[in-house]
Formats: sequence, structure tokens, C-alpha cells
Amino acid sequence: MKGASRYLPSIPVLLAYAALFGFGLLNPGKWQLVAQLAFYCALGQAFNLFMGMTGYVDFGYVAFLGIGTYGMAISISGLADKGLGLGVIGIGLILSVVFAVLLALAVGAVALRLRGAYFAIATIGVNEGFRYLIEGARIWNGSEGIIFSSHLRELVGREAAMSLSTFWADVMVFGVAVIATVLTIGYMRSKIGYALAALRMDEDAAKVMGINVTRFKIIAFITSAALAGLLGATAWAVKLTYVYPADVFGIHYTVEAIIIVLLGGAGTLLGPIVGGLIYGVSKYYLAVYLPGFQLLVFAPVIVAVIVLFPEGTVGMIKRKLLGTALEKYIL
Amino acid sequence: MKKTTFFALTLSAAFFCVATAFAADLPQKIVIGNPEALSGTHAKAGEQAIGGVKAIIKWVNTVNGGVKVGGKKLPLEYKYYDCESKKEAVTSLLERLITSDKVHFILAPYSSPLTLAGAPVAEKYGILYMDHGGASDKIFTQGFRYAVQTIGPGSRYHVGTLDMLKKKDPAAKRLALAYKDDEFARSVMDGAEAHAKKLGYEIIFKRTYPATVNDLTPLLSDLKASKPDIVIGGGHLADGQLFTQQMADLGINPKALSLVAAVTIPAFQTALKGKADGVMGPSHWEYGVTFSKEKARKAGQVWIGPSQDEFVKLFKDAIGRDLRPEYHAAEAGAAVLSLVLAVEKAASLDSDKVRAAMGDLKFTSFYGGWAIDKTGKQVGHDMIDAQWQNGKLVIVGPEAASTGALLYPKPTVK
Amino acid sequence: MILEQLAGNLLQGVVLGTVYGMATMGLSLIFGVLKVVNVGHGAFIMVGAFTSFAVFEYLGLSPVFAIPVAFGIGMALGMIFYYSSIRRLLKGPELASLLATFSFGVILEEGIKFLFTSDFRGFNWDLGKIDMGFTVLPYAKVAACLGSVAIAVLLYLWFNKTRAGMAMRSVVEDGVGARVCGVNVDWMYALSFSLGIGLTVASGVLLTMFVSVGIHPYMGGEYTLKAFVVAVLGGLASPYGAFFGGLVFGLLENGSYTLFAQIPGLEPFAMTRFFSFLILLLILLLRPTGLLKAK
Repeated sequence: MKGASRYLPSIPVLLAYAALFGFGLLNPGKWQLVAQLAFYCALGQAFNLFMGMTGYVDFGYVAFLGIGTYGMAISISGLADKGLGLGVIGIGLILSVVFAVLLALAVGAVALRLRGAYFAIATIGVNEGFRYLIEGARIWNGSEGIIFSSHLRELVGREAAMSLSTFWADVMVFGVAVIATVLTIGYMRSKIGYALAALRMDEDAAKVMGINVTRFKIIAFITSAALAGLLGATAWAVKLTYVYPADVFGIHYTVEAIIIVLLGGAGTLLGPIVGGLIYGVSKYYLAVYLPGFQLLVFAPVIVAVIVLFPEGTVGMIKRKLLGTALEKYIL
Repeated sequence: MKKTTFFALTLSAAFFCVATAFAADLPQKIVIGNPEALSGTHAKAGEQAIGGVKAIIKWVNTVNGGVKVGGKKLPLEYKYYDCESKKEAVTSLLERLITSDKVHFILAPYSSPLTLAGAPVAEKYGILYMDHGGASDKIFTQGFRYAVQTIGPGSRYHVGTLDMLKKKDPAAKRLALAYKDDEFARSVMDGAEAHAKKLGYEIIFKRTYPATVNDLTPLLSDLKASKPDIVIGGGHLADGQLFTQQMADLGINPKALSLVAAVTIPAFQTALKGKADGVMGPSHWEYGVTFSKEKARKAGQVWIGPSQDEFVKLFKDAIGRDLRPEYHAAEAGAAVLSLVLAVEKAASLDSDKVRAAMGDLKFTSFYGGWAIDKTGKQVGHDMIDAQWQNGKLVIVGPEAASTGALLYPKPTVK
Repeated sequence: MILEQLAGNLLQGVVLGTVYGMATMGLSLIFGVLKVVNVGHGAFIMVGAFTSFAVFEYLGLSPVFAIPVAFGIGMALGMIFYYSSIRRLLKGPELASLLATFSFGVILEEGIKFLFTSDFRGFNWDLGKIDMGFTVLPYAKVAACLGSVAIAVLLYLWFNKTRAGMAMRSVVEDGVGARVCGVNVDWMYALSFSLGIGLTVASGVLLTMFVSVGIHPYMGGEYTLKAFVVAVLGGLASPYGAFFGGLVFGLLENGSYTLFAQIPGLEPFAMTRFFSFLILLLILLLRPTGLLKAK
């Protein structure tokens, strides 16, 4: 495929995000729900960038969200009285990405030499180890975390702070989702994408063919991590204005990311947003109508999906649309 | 038609229209919303809180006849969802309660992190946000205007305990602090440490342990070697049981042991049997406290709410089984009582006015005292200390609420 | 004084380590034969803990009797999970089986919560203790240690002396060859999975012999993480390695506490956790097949 038509599949995805955003704007009383859905979609999109393309499952993914949250938290609480206003948010975003990238390099150095289950376990090890290091060495206040709502107020004033936490943070989450989408399709349609596709099918064969497997793995891994950092900085730090290590290193977020990607279809472009919406909406209504029973309902459903629809929703759609005109819009 | 009749008819018609328009604006009930945690980490506390709220609402609607506002008595209604103890779910469910279900007031979900998660949204909508399960002092240094606290702040948990122990045995100087490593327990530890130093205790051991601990032996061996007179610490349910059990395993017998959060739950004694004897714990409320309408009247305090036994019965009815209410239930119920008084005082359902009315509200209930400072932090409620003695939970402090004497020193466990 | 502390911690570590080791054998067995990582591992341990509690509270019997009961329950659960889902996922991507086992864990947690409520349970199995001067060891812990060793020995005998055991080993070494020899490989997979789960649930009982309080539906997550470290220490695919790994882990975790306690400004307990994961990463990096030579 040549030219701009290669990027056609991004259209349905971006339209979907725009529609969600628009729905939120038109229904301000439902904005928090929209924000929650956007979070799940962004999480899935960011996670899918590495996992979808390489097939590796990073079970410690949430560590990148966590460190991103800390990056923003430190910026806001540390620079609150310097009179920099909204610039601190920008600094926070940059710091989050820097932290996430550094952690990703450290993790990658160890974990990316491993495969399959060993990789999964190594990443869990990093996640947990890092969290205990923070608690044990009392880094960034250790287990007491950082609560910086008052700092945010000091920084930009009460009204702006409220607006940031309840609206602009979520807009930024949308931004992360869009960036993740663009990067994913960018990678998929480039050398990286082909290399990783080869890797996913047979890593040894790819190596033998002379593909620098390690380099491309690292690029995808770091990108995915950086996006997670941004997500933590926006959806968790700016929005909720607090961070506790126990909270932001919780392994269940990684599991949610995996579920979202799986529901939608791993390795597809449209998958994460479909998965995110299905997951988010189901959870919401379960919380409202069946309080206390969500997990009991969800867990067997997940098993059923894995066993019966391993390619996910979008995977199925792709198959059905094979040979039709719509084919080039779905990736 | 004669001119005057026509005029009279028009006037009455107009009056009728205006009257109905106004009547339609007046709400028929007061709705309290609660994005509570019914599954996940805080499932148990959430269940208790909901039971407590339902019990008090029943009391308000039946015994009190409702809440007096605008010349009428309006019933209370309760709407709650399950946020699964997850912070992302809190904001969307909270918003739904406010914008779709149009609740008038909010009860925050149990625990400090979740309370913090929902606070910005409550602030945005300018709705009263009642904190019944978040003991962190820091919540009230953030400048939230609509948050009010019913639970006592963490830093005060062990203050009364230390006072009581110091009075009982001024010679016991060696104090060991062993707390769980989380924000709540640390705030208790910091408050205890500061107060202990003031009282002249010598802190010979100070360590924390991670939340999901399953073996405290290394830490307790270390503690044993420092030969403490008194040990205080803890964190939550599971580690409290573990702590006591393993102290007995290692043969550590201090003169007093006081653990946070775990001790006063009945399951503690059921699980540990003889080993629980003599172990103490601070609590916001335990069945057996002697707050009553008569005592309050005599002391010139405002009293509201059911008596203790009435509350227990209402709670069991609300939960639908024979479950003992714990302090989570009591503090949630007390929060509702504070709301009732504030609404009646403000004669309005407007959150700004009600919050202002709460500012100088002072009352006593089955839960004890209640009064907040200008940041919304709870300052009117004292912790009580309870101790297991021969399989029964006895309230040993403060003296005004006690049902028995302190057993000191703690019986040695073989 | 420090040496005394260290000695005490190390001894406790050995005792605890055997229990951890036994608890991880099931995980390693399942991975060795089926190449599936049981991410719901801790939840199965929790089921064992509840079994022990139920046997003690409702039948009045000591936990020793709960061991075979737990084992039976484990095998039944294993069979159900295998035939309903794992079987179909063996050929697929790893992700699928990881998620499936995780979901099993969640189902068990919620199911137990439904049956027993989320209350913290415990019981009192007091056999007295030995005071050794530098540390105190309750007999219950000793019983747990001996029980773990006994089960490990039984497993060894099973693998080397029974036909089914030897058939299982053959499947690990050469699946095709085993099939050619007439081994029903599918049945072997089912049996391995169930045996692994059975071992895991039984280990939950042993754990309660070690610590008999704090039993609640969500207690498992902690153990899953520890099990991963232990399994990697011993070589992910080897059940005996897991046992050995448990011992090493117990020693490291408890011994390092004394070390960290000497450094001011640190919280020793959290640091021992960090240390154990650091070891995990080092082993994965340097000797992924574990500290023992490959089996």
C-alpha cells in the first residue's frame, strides 16, 4: 500500500474518539463517565502499542503509570510557590515522560532479553520491586504518598484548579489516546511494524533474517511506557491530586489493560477503543445495578471471551470484512 | 359575567397557578448519594457503613418523622453504588448521583484515598461531601470547602491510650512502636510518637511493616530484643490478628499491647481466643459505650438519634442478618445525624447553607460527641479504648464512657 | 546480639521457606508440563486456607486432616478448570492462559467471599512451643515444615516410582516421543494441571499451620508474588527446584531483615521485599533456569 491510503484505518478510530468527546461536551452531567471511558481506551491504546505488536505481555505495565503520576505530583507539589502557573503542568508532563523512559530503559535492559512467561514475571518483579523500594527507602514520602490538591490551588487559583481536575485532565487523556493511536499506526506502517510482526510470528526466524529485533522491541517498549507515564500524569495526578504507592502500582490496572486489549482485539488499531468502551460501560452499569457483584460477573465472562473469541471483537470484524471495500478502514 | 366575579376568578386562577408552580419546586424527599465500596479492599467497611446509614435513615423517617425544612417534614432517601474500591470509578459514579439521580448531599466512599478521589468533583458541583471513613488529617489541609469529617483524625488514635497507660503506670517508660506502612497508620504513629515524647516515654523501637505482610517474625524478634514495657501499633484487620498471634508465638509479653483497627472487631477474639485477652485497641465506637439521652441532657448537650440498642436493632434489620455493627456503621450513621441537624438549622437544602450550619454544630448521639473545626475536620469526638477481658470486650477508657477497669499488666500468654 | 538475631531469623527463614517451597511446587509443575503460568496461584492457596479453617471450626479436626481434603478439592477444581478452558488455550498465545488463570483466581475469591463473607477468619491450633534461647519456635510451625517435606518426598516417589508419574516426566521431556510410546498426552496434561492445583490448595492448609489467623478471600495476591520469586529461584519448570528455591527465599528474606535493620533511615521490612524482587531480576538475567542445574 502506498501513500495516504495506508493511514485510512486511523479514521474510524479518531472519529470514535471525537464522537466520545462530543458526547461528553453535549452531556456535561456525564462528563466523568466519558472521562473514565477515555481513560480505559487510552490505557488500552498505550498498552497495545507494545503488547499488540510484539505479543509480549508486560505484567508490570502499571509501574509506568505510577511513575508518571509521581512525575507530575513532584512537579506540582515542588514548584507550587514559584509562580510559574500552568507551566508547571507542562513541566510535570515532561518529567513524567522522562521518568517513564528511564524506568523503561532499566526494565528493558533486564526483561527484554527474556521471552514469554519469563518476561511477564520479570516485569511483575520490576513493578513490585520498585514499589517496595519507594516504600522501604521512603522515596517521595514513601507510603504516605503526596497529596497536592492545595498546591494545585496555590499554583493556579481555586477555580482553575477545579477546572483542571474535573475537565482539562480528561481532555489531556483524550490527547494521550489520540497520540497513542497516531503512533501505533505510524509504527505499524513503518519498518518497525514489519519487524515486530515478523518477531511476533517467529522471533528466532526474524533474528536469523538479520532483523535487529532488540532495537525495535526497545523502541516499542519505551514508546508504550512513555504514553503510560503521560496517562498517569493526567488521569491520576492532575485529576485526582494525590498519589500513594500502594494505589498507583496496583497490578489490577495491568490486568484491566490486558482485558481491554483482549476484548477489542490484540494488535488491532481499533481494538483498544472498542474494548475500552465495552469494558467501561459494562463496569459502570454493573456498579449501578448489581453493586458488589461486578467481579463475579466479569471473571467468567473474560474466560468465555478468551476461549471463544480469542481474536477479540475487532479481530472478528476484520475477518468478516475481508474482501470488502471497508477492509482498508479497519486495522 | 359581572366585572368583579371575573376579576376574582382571574385572581384565584393566577394564585392557583403560582401556588402549584411553587409546590412543584419543593422536593418531596431528601436524597443522600453514596458511591460506596461494596467489593474490593474496602468491601467489609463499605457494607457496614451502608447498614449504618440505612439504620439511621429508618430512625429519622419513622421516629423523627423526617427532616424539618421549609415548614414540612421530608423523608430521607438513600442511593448508593459500588465503586469497587477503585478510584477511577468514584468520580463517574459520584457525578451520576449528582447529575442523573439529583441527590442533595453526598456521603464519601470509605477510606482516605477514595474520599480524596471524589473531593474535586464534589467541589465542582458545590455539594456537601461527608467524610465518614477517611481519617487522614491531610484531607482537611487541602482547602476543600464542602468536605466535613465525622471520623476522628488518625493522629489522635493512640493519644488517649497513652494518657491512660501513663496514668496507670508512670514507671513504665520503654515504648515500642510497630505500625503498618500506610498513610493512615503512619499518621497514627506520628501522632502517638509526638504525644509519647510529651509524656516522657522512651521510644526504644520504631518500625513499620508492609501492608500485605504474612510473617512478622523478623520484626517481632527485633522488638523482643529491645525489651519494651508497652507496645502500640497495628494498621488494619489482618495484620492486627497476625501481630498478636506471632507475639504470642515468640513469647513476647509486654505490660500492655494496643493495636489499631483490628482488636475491637469480634472476629479478633474468635480467631485468637485466649491470646486476645488483655489486648487493647482504640476505636471510634464500640457497643457498650455509655452515651445516652439522659447524660447528654444533664450535661446540657444537644442529643439526637436512637439509643445504642435501638441502633443495633435497626442495623440488623437493615443488613438482613444477625451482624454486629462496628464503628464503620456507627460513624456513617452519625454523619447522617449531623446532616439532619444541619439541614434543620439551616432550614434549607442548599449545600452552602448546610455547610455553614455545620460549622458551629455541636451535638451528642449514640456515637459520642460531634463538632468540626473550620476546615471541616472532626474535633468533637474522642476515641475510646477497649480491651478484651475473659472473652468480653470491655471499654476501659476514657472514664466517662468506660464499662470496666483496665486490666494491667496484660496477662502473660504461655 | 546481632548474630543471635541473625541466627534466629535464619532458622525461622528455613522453616518458613519449606512451606513457601511446597506452596510453589504446584506452580512449577504446571509450568513445567503445560507451559502455563498460573497467575491465580494465590487464590488456590486461599481456598486451602479456608478448607483448613472450615475443617477446624466445623468438624473440630486438626489441620492435618484438612490436608487430604484440600488436596481432593484442588484436584477437582483443577479438572474443572482444565476441561472447561485451559485445554483449548494451550495452543494459543500465552496471554490467553495467563488471563484465564487470573480469572479463575477472581472467581474463587468472589465465590469464597460469597460463601464465607469477607470477614477475617482464624483459629487456634496451639501445640506449645520450644524456646531455643535465640528464638522461639512454636510446634505448629515445625509441623508445617515437616508436612511440607513429607509432601515433597511423596511427590518425588510418585514421579520416580509410579507409572503415571514417569509418564508425566516423559511428557515434559519429549511430548511427541511420549505419544509414540502410547502415553495419553491429553490426559497427562489434565492430570498435571490438577495435581499442580491439588498441591497448591494443600499448601494452603500447611500455611495455616504456620499462621492460623488473617484468613480472608483476598489473602492470596501476596502469595502469588512470592511464589513467582521462589519459582524463578528454583527454575520455573522444576517442582523440586521450587522446594529448594523456597528454602533459599526464606533464608534471604528473613536474613536480609537483620541486614537492613542496621541501616538507618530505611524500613527494613519493605526493603526485604525489594531485595527479593531484585534477586528475582538478577536470577532471570543471569541464570533463568534457576539456581539448580536443569532437570
